[in-house]
Amino acid sequence: MSIESLLASVLEQSTPLVLAALAAMITLRANILNVAVEGMMLVAAFSAIAVGALTDSAFIGFWAGLAGAIFASLVFSTMTLRFGAGFIVAGLGINLLAAGGTLFALERYYNSPGGLRPIAFPDIWHVPEGSLSFIPVIGPAIEGQSIIVFLTVLAVPACWVFLYRTPTGAYLRAAGEDEHAARSAGIDVVRMKALAVTISGLLAGLAGTQLAMDKLHFFLPDMTAGRGFIGLAATLFGAGQPWMTAGAAVLFGFFGALGDRLQAFDIPAQFVLMLPYVAAILALALARWRIHVRNKPSKL
Amino acid sequence: MRSDFTDFLRAVRGPLGAIALTMALGFLLVASISDEPVLAYRELLFANFDSLSNFALFLNRATPLVLIAVGITFAFRAGVFNVGGEGQLFAGAIATTVFSIVFSGLPAIVLFPLAIAAGILGGALLGWIPGVLKVRLGVDEVVVTFMLNTIALLFTSYLVNQVIRDTTAYGAVSWMVPEKIWLPTIPGIPGATSGFIIAAVLSLASWVVLFRTKWGAEVRAAGTNLRYAEAVGIAAGGRVIWAMLIAGGFAGLAGALYVLGIGHRFEQNFSPEYGLVALTCALLARIHPAAALFTSLYYAMMLNGAAYMQISTEVPRSLVDLLTGLLVLLMTARFTLRRRSGQTSGAF
Amino acid sequence: MTTDENILVLKGIAKRFGDKVALEHVDLQVRRGEVHVLCGENGAGKSTLMNILVGIHSPDGGQIILDGKGVTIADPLIASALGIGMVHQHFTLVPSMSVAENLFLGRHIRRYGIFSDRRAMNERARELIDNYKFALDPEARVSTLSVGQRQRVEILKALAFEAKLLILDEPTAVLTPPEVDELLKVIASLRERGRTVVFITHKLREVKAVSDRVTVLRQGRSISTHITTDVSEEDIARDMVGRDVFLTGREGQPERSFGGAVLELDNVTITNSAGRLILDSIDLEVRAGEVLGIAGVDGNGQTELAEAIAGLMPIQAGSIRLAGDDITADTVAERQAAGLGFVPEDRLDRGLSSDMSIAENMAATNYERYGVLRKGYVDRGRLNAFTEDGIKRFDIRGAKPKIPVGTLSGGNMQKVVLAREFARDPKVLLISQPTRGLDIGASEFVYSQVLSAADKGNGVLLISSELSEIFALSDRIAVIYSGRIMQVLERNEADEETVGILMNGGKRQVA
Repeated sequence: MSIESLLASVLEQSTPLVLAALAAMITLRANILNVAVEGMMLVAAFSAIAVGALTDSAFIGFWAGLAGAIFASLVFSTMTLRFGAGFIVAGLGINLLAAGGTLFALERYYNSPGGLRPIAFPDIWHVPEGSLSFIPVIGPAIEGQSIIVFLTVLAVPACWVFLYRTPTGAYLRAAGEDEHAARSAGIDVVRMKALAVTISGLLAGLAGTQLAMDKLHFFLPDMTAGRGFIGLAATLFGAGQPWMTAGAAVLFGFFGALGDRLQAFDIPAQFVLMLPYVAAILALALARWRIHVRNKPSKL
Repeated sequence: MRSDFTDFLRAVRGPLGAIALTMALGFLLVASISDEPVLAYRELLFANFDSLSNFALFLNRATPLVLIAVGITFAFRAGVFNVGGEGQLFAGAIATTVFSIVFSGLPAIVLFPLAIAAGILGGALLGWIPGVLKVRLGVDEVVVTFMLNTIALLFTSYLVNQVIRDTTAYGAVSWMVPEKIWLPTIPGIPGATSGFIIAAVLSLASWVVLFRTKWGAEVRAAGTNLRYAEAVGIAAGGRVIWAMLIAGGFAGLAGALYVLGIGHRFEQNFSPEYGLVALTCALLARIHPAAALFTSLYYAMMLNGAAYMQISTEVPRSLVDLLTGLLVLLMTARFTLRRRSGQTSGAF
Repeated sequence: MTTDENILVLKGIAKRFGDKVALEHVDLQVRRGEVHVLCGENGAGKSTLMNILVGIHSPDGGQIILDGKGVTIADPLIASALGIGMVHQHFTLVPSMSVAENLFLGRHIRRYGIFSDRRAMNERARELIDNYKFALDPEARVSTLSVGQRQRVEILKALAFEAKLLILDEPTAVLTPPEVDELLKVIASLRERGRTVVFITHKLREVKAVSDRVTVLRQGRSISTHITTDVSEEDIARDMVGRDVFLTGREGQPERSFGGAVLELDNVTITNSAGRLILDSIDLEVRAGEVLGIAGVDGNGQTELAEAIAGLMPIQAGSIRLAGDDITADTVAERQAAGLGFVPEDRLDRGLSSDMSIAENMAATNYERYGVLRKGYVDRGRLNAFTEDGIKRFDIRGAKPKIPVGTLSGGNMQKVVLAREFARDPKVLLISQPTRGLDIGASEFVYSQVLSAADKGNGVLLISSELSEIFALSDRIAVIYSGRIMQVLERNEADEETVGILMNGGKRQVA
């Protein structure tokens, strides 16, 4: 195994996790525990493949993926903010509806409950092979990565700038931190929360589109496999700070990539696949444990 | 008492409304893709009662749902949003299977209770982890229980594929558990597991425990306001962990009873997401153990009915998954004609 | 009187929330450049009225005339555009943001249209701070500021946008006496600058010196308006309650005699994670039949003291004895069984589970008594009887055993807590901020209950930041400051001035 290919694999595995984590982070800053990221990603993956195959255009497929996830996020915000449904329950509802709806569509319209595998599928833009080989180590790792990987790299500072350097971001944080204060400053709290959910839809859409369109070019009923929840774990671990959150997501992605390498060593695949989930639980427990220890009264 | 009856009506109005709305939306969907929507819905709802064998399958379907849903009511009443029913179910099923296979030489009178206990303990362990992490460190339980689902699924997949796989059978299934510890069927209903009776009894017993004992009151106090519970002298953290042990134990028991009463072996794909469906049932029952019995029966009817519907009409069975999503989405919403206040305007 | 001399006129303002009438008919005239006090009990409608003025609620009826023109105030931004600024009772500051960011919350200065211009906001904030001579750093995070500093940020926020009319909602409730003095100076200087101030309070005494006129609200109606110097506190109190008030306690009663010590604290010490002392070697003794009052400004260790005695917070050194037995290592339940009753300072936090029924809240510590529990099961009939009895004895209005306790008013919720704790006839009653947020009627009731508990020979440890309450009820007064007991005074040697000095950390006096 080479460092280049491990790095490439980390980038690939981390991208949907970082996006999912940012999606959960934006809503967390508006005081919403967003478990619907998973479902939004699934909708994005399905619409990207379905529309991409239908139009034979990666471009249209890409936008269809984003549109699908944003639509799901609008359903989520309407049910919670307009009709007062609980955020966790409605979020689970979105997940179930995404899983059930895509499965229903597979059975009804494609007659293949196992998944949607178009015979030919247009490629999304990737960095051409060999174009960056003059840069040692990093060059080869970047080659072959999709445009979404680059959007992800940009999304982290973009989220930071949005939250900390724009008025809207500040109002969104105020709405999440102290609703009463935000409201008396004339901020429309509900609108801020709706905005956060919509942004999370956009980010989850990117995550789902990357998952389906980067290498695989097909859709499977369960293809998000809990990545939305790993993203949520990364956000909680990173305490809602963009850089910490992205860092945690990359760490979980690293464990995923490491797992792929370990398969060469005769370790059962199931244990390898478990790695990021175990890492996420341990990381969360560790983060809380540190706070716990810090707040203990000191000995006399 | 009259006021009790009106309270009851008020309590069931919401869930029944959500079910009716979902079923109506589903009917519109079915009508748009099928020429025989009425037949499809008849199959969905009533084919379960067409024959005794259908009815037996219906009870078998309901058994794990009832147990997991009742377990979840303990977790939710203690303030833990436990979405880990699926993982706890798998842990219980695999623990019972492994124990029964490894100690198959023991006499039935010893093996049977121990196999059941193994299942309960397996599920309880998976409930204990998020419980203790939440109580001692404040780790978010939704994320942890969800992660544990995936971990449990992968771990059982490893065992059933690599360790206890029945090499003579097709698919990822374990060796059979010894026939001497199979659960008997319900007399008069061939094929229906007596596990259902256990589940129904436990559901009613849980009602008594949660709402008619001091312990139950303490669990609910800890779940509604932990700091209050501490102040009135309740060991609140311990109550929450116990509630999670019970929630996991019930789901583990569901796995054990499935293996001993229905599957007679561990099958990797034995669960049509029982954990999430049971969560739906528990929420639909407004976190009430006795009501969860009825919502689980309703869902068992839908799950099996979907298969009959698919056979008779061209409507795919995943319609039920879709409807479940809709139902959960609509379940806690309040549909009022009036806007709540001026502040909600302008967002959409 | 012409409208011109009035900056604000309210005519017949009404507001209801669902079935509840918050304001029935309020008339108010505020003159330009005056300090106008709005007095009323909790629930009289003061806060609702002010929330209408700043656009958080909209009135169902009546007219608002500002500067001679009828106005409709649909949201807070319109209110501030009209020149109405408000300082809320609960601060409306975002703790993780800086002073400047808070001042400009909802109206950030922009750069290139989309970014926040932090430098410009800091500069403008600095100018404002200098202009009003407040000692504040515009870039400091609000979470690092003291309560008094936060209130100044709130006032600045209201003034920042040229408020002609400044509304202060119960501003003294959270302040230490020297901070109150500072605030009154600020208000005096605002009046000199020609600003109009509306001051909402139920403690008229504090603001008498700086106020011009006072209007009393009662049950959603405006009752009277007086020139402050023309009325006595008693007149105001009568208008507020609608009858004569007897918020009297031990004053004038003959000397009382006490039994032996029922609660003894010896060297009780608590430190926080940074190693700072929260409670510094507390020694206290409560005798049977005695009310020992702990006076002090909020946040000087009272919360921790109560939690330590109740068993909710571990102590690092020292011991606690109840009726002679060491309970230092006992759990909460064991302490209760040994005869401790605990009324926490915040009934919605530690006192009650608002989603559970009145019966379950009242029975929580009493299952083993009154036959409520039979063979491990709750006897519903006995539970109901027990609850009905408590409801009757404590006059809990609108209560039925089965309804959630959260549907009651604040005063009736407090009575549920009292009913629960008194049901055990505790040897020692630990009672914290017992009348916070209660109206005068409910306060009278609580006072009488506390005194009758002492008369029965129980020891009472009363923690309160209301000096009047301490003086009305206590046999001895201990003053706490910064985690230390400054001095324990006999009732007859304590006066408000001495206690006030001690509350601010003043020198211990040699008795």
